[in-house]
Parts: sequence; structure tokens; C-alpha cells
Amino acid sequence: MAPPMIDPALFDQLKDNIEKDSSIRKDLEQIIEELNQNVSYTQGVLTKIHSTPRSKYPALLSQVESGIKKELETTTRLAQFASQYPYYKYNYKWGRTLQDAIATVLLHAWLGGMGSDSKPGEVGRLLTLEEVGHVFEVPVNLKDRDAFHITIEEYLLALISVVEDLSRLAMNSVTLGDTELAVQISGFIKDLHGGFQMLNLKNDILRKRVDSVKYAVKKVEDVVYDLSLRNLIPAKDAQ
Amino acid sequence: MEGKMDDAPAPKRAKIGSENTSKPIDNSTGNTMSGFKRDRHGNEKRFNNGPRPAPKPKVAVVRNAYTPMFEQLRDELDAHHDRRDRLGKVSRDITGLSKKIIFALQRVRTINPDLPPQIQAEVDSRLAEISKLLATMAPDVQGINRYRYSRSLMCLEELAEALTFAHYLKTQTLLKPDELSAFVEELTRKGAVSEDRDKDKDEPMPDAGNTPVPTSGEQETTDNDNKLAEKEEQRQSKLEPLTMSTTEDDYFYGVFDLSGEMMRFATTSTALTGKMAGAEDERTIVEDMHELGSFFEMLPMKAGDRKQWEKKLDVMRQSVRKVERLGYDRMIRGSERPQGWVPDLTADQPGDDEE
Repeated sequence: MAPPMIDPALFDQLKDNIEKDSSIRKDLEQIIEELNQNVSYTQGVLTKIHSTPRSKYPALLSQVESGIKKELETTTRLAQFASQYPYYKYNYKWGRTLQDAIATVLLHAWLGGMGSDSKPGEVGRLLTLEEVGHVFEVPVNLKDRDAFHITIEEYLLALISVVEDLSRLAMNSVTLGDTELAVQISGFIKDLHGGFQMLNLKNDILRKRVDSVKYAVKKVEDVVYDLSLRNLIPAKDAQ
Repeated sequence: MEGKMDDAPAPKRAKIGSENTSKPIDNSTGNTMSGFKRDRHGNEKRFNNGPRPAPKPKVAVVRNAYTPMFEQLRDELDAHHDRRDRLGKVSRDITGLSKKIIFALQRVRTINPDLPPQIQAEVDSRLAEISKLLATMAPDVQGINRYRYSRSLMCLEELAEALTFAHYLKTQTLLKPDELSAFVEELTRKGAVSEDRDKDKDEPMPDAGNTPVPTSGEQETTDNDNKLAEKEEQRQSKLEPLTMSTTEDDYFYGVFDLSGEMMRFATTSTALTGKMAGAEDERTIVEDMHELGSFFEMLPMKAGDRKQWEKKLDVMRQSVRKVERLGYDRMIRGSERPQGWVPDLTADQPGDDEE
């Protein structure tokens, strides 16, 4: 009797593996959904920045911080769970959500949050990829082992969201009478734009998003132009 | 380059082309060379005083506090893109070779443990090439990078298809995923070893009285550096050659495509031999196709790329239908059918593309 076409044990083996894969995906989706909720609350709180004068930042930032704290807790769970499996097999599922979480952390720090005893928070501080990793307590740009981490692409995409948000803030800060902040934002965005221009981009999502930075530059330049036309730029930043 | 530039009027020079169209170009000088600049009226631009001015130096990127950070990120991203491009190129070559193996196998007429010697020889030589190519890929897909670049490794599906097809033609059974991945792993290892041997053969040659090729000093040092690094890599790979293998997804999609090859094989072999392939007293390829079909119908759908899975499943269903039609034709009028007659399989399936 010739052997059968398909080994009878093979079906159960493959079926098992597919079912395991599906259940991993379901568990991941649950954690990601939770992270999504944390992020969208934090993002919501951060939108208040556009109508808050700088003197009232501390109160607002502490509210943001409570949202970020939840994000960090959920990310820790995500990291623990995801690290059991090949990172790049599932990372596309949480990429977008994690980027948004990183963006809230970056914006919070730029507005003067995320201060520590050794490094007090100040307006205009950009956290590096490594510092973001410290905040989330996960590795970054991992190459030597297969575990959860924050990638360069995620960091850069998050940074672009922050740029867009800040270009909006430049306008609104003028409305609130804080021209100094608008000028500071303008300098920051132009510097970052110069940085993004150094990247050799392929035709991917990162390129598409980087394209939007120039519109942010234009927006803040228009604001600064309006200010300078009317001699509204504070003297010490005028150069 | 500021973002503003997009809105600023383009410099005059850039418009030459469009203005040329409205004015006839003055060719009266008989100078048909294209290597000169024209002014806005389409006439040749002349530089009266000596050679043309040197092109303006490129504006250096203005450095700021974030420049070093972006430089570092750029280097990392470049390394990633280079790796992906490298893999993509080799992957295309492996896909091509795998397809050639499949074409060769389609010239087989019966299921037999020994392939016809000519075909076996062709398969072997293609596999030897694939083996070397796999070995060059292996360092780029270690550890975390295996899934990172799985989209650049489509060749593995094609290779899986070729290998499962060869296995079917020899044994009339379906290759198992563990066997497939073990085979590909071994193939990669062999490729690394043979590569090493080739290099060792090459290396002693310069010492054997050959005159060294004169090179500029600078190149020599970088060459030496490269060689040192290469040797170091070799030493490491000699200890334990890096290897790579197929994933379960590669297997699934390879086997989906196998059903198409089996259909093609069933059609030609029945037409040309007048018999259904397979051990006729036990089971023929018709039953094998049915079994393979039911196998995939019973499996839960693989999450991830549902669209692709559904499409492949659909194509496989059609292959099963075609082969069962073959079986029916053979049963009902097999004996009256003249040898060499090919059944028209598309008659009752309009709009069915050959897949």
C-alpha cells in the first residue's frame, strides 16, 4: 500500500498553528484597542493646548501626563506579549497606534513636560529616539535580538504629527498673545525640516508624510511674516 | 531647499525648453551638437571670456542642533533600504530559477521515483545556483530580520512550489512543511560551503607567482580592509554557516500553486500517455487533487492576508475541477480516445483564465 497523498498528522498540525496564530492576533487586537483608547484620550487633552495660555501649561500638562501614564502601562503589556513572537510578523498591527502614543509623549515633552530631577522640562525640548525608549521603557531600533521595540520609522512618523500640531499651535499662540512661542515654533519646525531633508527616502509612507512638513513650514513662516510686518516679534528673538 | 521653493517662480533657466517650442532654433551655423546652452530665445549662449563659468556650488545643508540626529537616522534607514534592495534582486533571480525548474518538471510524463536523467540534471544544476543565491541572502535575514524582509523573499514561495512539485512527481505524496524547511536550510548551508570553497581556490592564486595588478595606494588599503573584513566574516561563517529557511506561509502559498502545476501535469500526461498519472491500481492524480482540495477547504482561513488566501483557494478549486473533468473523460471514453487527443477543458467554464 502506497503512502497517502497527505500525511494524516499534517492537517492537525497546520490547523493548530493557524488557530494559534488567530488567537495571538485576537489578543494583540485587544491590547491595541486599549492603547488606542488611552491615546485618543491623551490626544484629546492635548488639543486644549491651542486655547491655553502658557501660564496655565503646568495644570494642563499634568492632566496629559495622567493620560500618558496609562499609555505607558498598556504599552508595557503590549511589549511583554508581543516579544514572545517574531517582532516583524505582527508589528504592522500596532504601528499606527504606537506612533500616535509616541507623538503624545513628544508633544508633551516639547511643551515642557517630561521633566526629571536631572533634566527639568522646558518648552522646546525634543526627545530623541533613545529618550522616547526610556519613557516607554522599551528598546529602540533593535537589531541584535527579536523583541518589541520602537523603530526609527515610528519615531519619525510621530515627529511629523508633532510638527503638524505645532504649526497649528503657532497660529493659536499668536491669538493668545504669545508671539514669542510662535517664533520659537517657527525656528524648531524649520530646523526639523532641514533634518528631514537629509533623509534618503524611498517611495513609502514615510516619504508621503515627510512631504507634509513643508506645508507646516509655510504655515509658520506666514505667521512669522505677519508678525514681523507689524513689528510684533519680541526683540530678543527678532534676529 | 526650503519648502517655500515650491511656490516661488521657477528660475528662468528651467523654462528654456518650453520657450524653444515657440521659436525656431537657429541651426544656421551648422552646429548640430547638443552640448551647448541656449538663452531664453533659443540661441546659443556664448561665454565671451574664456571657459564657461563653473557651476554654482551646491548650497551646503545648513547644520542645526538636530542635524547629527537626522544623519544617524539616515544612515540606519539607508542600511535598511540597501538590505531590502539586495534581497529583492536575489529574490527575483531565485524566482526565475525556480520557474525554470518547474518548466523542466512539466516535461515529466509519469510519476516515478527517478526523474528522467536529463530533467534531473537540469533540476540539480538550477538547485545548485539557487543554493549559492540563498547563501548570499542568509546574512541579511538573520534573527529579527527574517520577518522584516519576508515581503522581499517571495522567491521562497516559488521555490516551495518547485520543491513540492518535484517531490510529488517522485513519490506521489505531499512534502511536509518541516521537510521543506529542512531541505531549504540544507540548500543554504551547502551554498555557503561551496562559496567558501570557491574563495579558497581563488585566494592562493596571487601567491603562485602571478604578478600583482598595480593599484593606487588608496584602493589597496580599502581593498585590504575589505578583505580583512571578508575573511573575518568567512571565519565566522566557517564556524557555523548562516542559514535561512521557509516559513509556514511560504509553504501554504507554495502548495496552493502546486495544485496548478499538478493540474497542468495531469492534463499533458493524460493527453500524451493516454493514462491518468499515478499508480492506477491504487490511486490516480484525480484522487490526489481531491484530497489536496479538501485539505485546504477544511483548514481555517489564515489570518493576515485573507484576500490573497481566498484568491489562491479559488484558483485551486478550479484546478481541482479541471482534473476531475479529466478523470471523467478518461473513465467514460478513455479506451475509444485516440492517443494525443487533448480534452477541451475551457468549454464549460467561460471566462476562465489559465491559472
